[in-house]
This record gives sequence, structure tokens and C-alpha cells, in this order.
Amino acid sequence: MSEAVYRLERLDFSYPASPARFSLALDALDVRAGAILALVGPNGAGKTTLLMLLAFLLRPGGGRLEFLGRDPWAEEDGAARARRDAVLLTHHPYLFKGTIADNVAFGLRLRKLPEAEIGGRVDSALSLVELDGRGRSPVSGLSAGQAQRVAIARALALRPRVLLADEPTANLDAALALRMEAVLREAGREWGTTVVFSTHAFAQASRLADDILYLSEGRRVEFSHENCFSGTAATDGRTSWIEPKQGVRITFPGAAKGHVTCVIDPAAIRVFAAGGGSAPPAGPNVFRGRVTRMETADAATALVRVSGDLVFRATLPVRELEARGVSLSGEVLLRFEPESVEVVSEQTAGAGKLP
Amino acid sequence: MIARDLALAVWVSLKTSGLSAVIASAVAVPIALFLSGREFRGKKLVLLINQTWMAAPTVVIGLLFYSLLSRNGPLGGLGLLYTQTAMTVGQTFLILPLVVGFSYTALRQVDRRARQTALTLGASRRQAGWIVLREARFPLLVAVLAGFARAISEVGIAMMLGGNIRNATRNITTSIALETSKGEFRNGVILGALLLVITLGVNILVQTGLSGRDRES
Repeated sequence: MSEAVYRLERLDFSYPASPARFSLALDALDVRAGAILALVGPNGAGKTTLLMLLAFLLRPGGGRLEFLGRDPWAEEDGAARARRDAVLLTHHPYLFKGTIADNVAFGLRLRKLPEAEIGGRVDSALSLVELDGRGRSPVSGLSAGQAQRVAIARALALRPRVLLADEPTANLDAALALRMEAVLREAGREWGTTVVFSTHAFAQASRLADDILYLSEGRRVEFSHENCFSGTAATDGRTSWIEPKQGVRITFPGAAKGHVTCVIDPAAIRVFAAGGGSAPPAGPNVFRGRVTRMETADAATALVRVSGDLVFRATLPVRELEARGVSLSGEVLLRFEPESVEVVSEQTAGAGKLP
Repeated sequence: MIARDLALAVWVSLKTSGLSAVIASAVAVPIALFLSGREFRGKKLVLLINQTWMAAPTVVIGLLFYSLLSRNGPLGGLGLLYTQTAMTVGQTFLILPLVVGFSYTALRQVDRRARQTALTLGASRRQAGWIVLREARFPLLVAVLAGFARAISEVGIAMMLGGNIRNATRNITTSIALETSKGEFRNGVILGALLLVITLGVNILVQTGLSGRDRES
């Protein structure tokens, strides 16, 4: 369990023709065998690029990318061999022309498995994604969600040592997404498959993953992008504030200067129903918004997304949801103490990017 | 014109044009696969030259190969002038840019994710190339058949490199030219209709292929 499947050292990659000059740089990363690693970050954070590197579809510009103790790029055909063990499930999967079963059997046929075994594996993989008996249907006309399930089945049928998945539940409804999460977990348990997946949803990452890697602008960051705000700081000497949006102020203690990035722990944010019986909260860092999403981080903790002038994520005990009058689409007030705002980056003009 | 002459002319047409289509496809499809999968300096120039070559008149290509294959030409020693081989070579060069162009377009239309998906499911680079070809098989078939249709309907190369020799290099188009020059318009029209029937058959094949693609995708 503790042996590393991947070992990354000073890994560096940039797209040669990228107008935005995006680059990915990771000092060190070990991916443990049999573990589930979530890559969490906003669009453009480098999640897909990292998955493509781990799938040996992109070649690192520098550093070392070890897979099962070897550097595949240093060996002739090493990347092609490594790709047989590390399968990538892309965000918008491509299905080859033909039937669902043809697609699921695709990798198995490349591996020249006996037809009887292929048939069995195809059936069991389709059963896992709840497409039993659909093998002979053509892939034309499948919905995005069904195509995603076929692609998941196609990857699972290979029983790979590593399954790399780029937002694997993005096209699925909530119930099926949960089912697929269980399937990914099961793959790890059943076949010892190491799973690396990307997601925007912090709740999904914390529900599913053993380890989480937060990425922002191609760099590892030590916090989630949730509740992460930045702006030019102003100060009165005792407290400082930034305005991520004009007129919307986040206040924190101390005298800060330059461009500040700060995060607020979701657990530090208190949620109250707007117009509830109790007096509205007063002081700095009070925001009004509407609950646009509710999830469970675990059995006891609810995660709510509140969209207003800014979008916040807050956690609170499931049993308090009702007592505080918090419901989906309901209007709420949020409050957090200035002391709970963590400044993670403070840059004066000309300084570099986030760590 | 006797039936045997007619049958031979049809056979020569089908043989030389069919061979040209096969040879040109064997060369053109890998070129198109290379061009569609890579970006490099000078690619636009290569495509421009190919497009220009596509528009080359058949007599120009005929003249080029005539000068190469004639007794005093650099390849005169091969003794190929006025043979079916010379016709096949000339027609191959005629349709090569057409098959490259059509195949390039067909392969560019294959979703770029196809190759990547094949690679990540364990295909080698060569297997991934085959899979891209397989995904484009119907448009590629159109490219090959378009090349065949162009070869079978041309007259300049067949006349200059084949010489319209009875029972040897005379094909449908050179027969039409001969019959017309003799004032045998009826024979010319019959041969023309025959050529149209063959072209129609090629088109039916293409349509069948395309409707097969529609059913599958």
C-alpha cells in the first residue's frame, strides 16, 4: 500500500504553442499503490495536463517521472509499455465506431486476450456501469452520460494497475455519480488499482480520495481553491481588506500590502437563514447569498455552496441544517471572523506567482 | 467495332485504372496520414503543391512521362513506352495528388481524440495510426474511388503513353477518340455510355459505403 506507483521529481512541462504560456511544475509527488488520489483545482489549474503526463501522452519538459520504479521516457518504447498499465479516462471520451461491446473490448483485443475471457470481462464491466445487455447496441445516439459510462466500462475492463480519470462523473446525474464513485473505490479494492482523478468538487475529493493534491495555475498549493479570493489589499494599519468584487470586502487582521490571496476554511464560516428569528449577524465579513448546492462531505457533515456577490463553501453538521433553517435555494447569511481568513500569498509588484 | 475489341478496351481501362488506384492509394494514404497528424514548417507549401498538381492537365503529365520513357529519354532503355505499364505509371501520377488531398481531408475530419484514446488503451503508435485509418475508412474509400474514376475517364495519358494500340493499350477513352475520328459516332456514343455505366457503378459503391457509415456512426 505504501509503495509508490508514480514518483515525480522536479517535473516540469509547458505547452510549446500555448499563448497563455501555461506551465506545470511539481517539485515532488509520490502516488501510493492502491491509493485514490484526487486532483482538485479550478479550470486551468493543470489537472488534465498532469493526468496526460501520468498517462504518458505528454512528455515532461524536465525532471523525472518514475512509474513502477522506472523512467519510461528513458527507455525505448517505455511509454507505450507504461500506457498498458496506466489507462486514461478522458473528460469527453471518444467512442470508436461500432457497438458498445466493441468499444469495451477494444483494449482487451489489443492485449490479445482469448475471446472467451474478453466476453466475460465486457459483460462484467457493462454490469458495473449499469449497461447490462446493451453490448450489441451501436454507440451512435448515446447520451453524454451513457458515453461516459461506456468509457468507464472500457477502462475498467482492462483492470489496469492505474486508472487516471479526468472528471469521471462530470456527465452523470447525482445518483449515478455516486454509484460510479463506488465503482472506482471497488476497483481499488478488487484489483488493487491505483486511481488518480480530477475534480472541481472538493466534496467528491474528500468523499472518495485517500490523498488530495490541490493545484492552481500549474503549481501545487496547500489549500483548496474553494473560498480562495485575491485582490489588492488596503489597510488602516490594524486590519486589512481586499475587494474581490467592487464594494465586496473581505477583512482580515494585520497590515497587508500588494496583491493578496487568502482562503477561508469552510468550517469557519457560519450559516444563518436570512430572515430567521434570530438577530442578523453584524460586523465585517457578512455576506448574503442563496444556497445553490448541498452535498454531504461525510455522514455527519454537510457542505453547502452559497452564491451571492461571492461564492462560498461552508460546512456544518448535518443535524444543524434544519435548526438553522438552511435549505436548498433558501436565502442565507454567512459570517466569518477576520481571524479565520488565512493569507496564503502577499505579493508586491513584480513578485512571482503563488507557491 | 467487334465485341472482342470492346471487351479488351474495357479490360485495359479497368486494369490500368484499378492498378493506378491501388498503387496511388498505397502511397497517398500514408502521406496523408503523416500530413494530417503533424505540424511542420513547409506543410502549407506541400499542400499547395499538391493542390496545384491536382489541377495538372492529363496531357502535361502524359508529355512529362513521354519525354522520360521515349527512346531518347532517360528511362527509354526500359522500353515501357506504349505499354499498359506506362499508362498505369502515368495515371498513378495523375491521381496521386487527388487521393492525397481527399485522404488528407478525410483524416483531418477524424476526431483527434481517436488516436489519443487508442494510445491510452494500450495501442502502439502504429496500431493507433491504423485505428485512425479505420475510423476514416469510408471517406478514404471515397478518395480511392475518386482516384479510380479520374484515371478511367482520362484520355491524354492513355493516348500519349499507351499509343492506342489495338489489343494492347487501347482502352475505352482512346477507343472513343478513335471511333469519333473515323466518323463512327454511334460506336463513340456506345463506348461513352459504357464509361458512364462504369462510373455509375463506382458512384453506387461510394454511396453504399457512405450509407454504411451513416448506419454505423
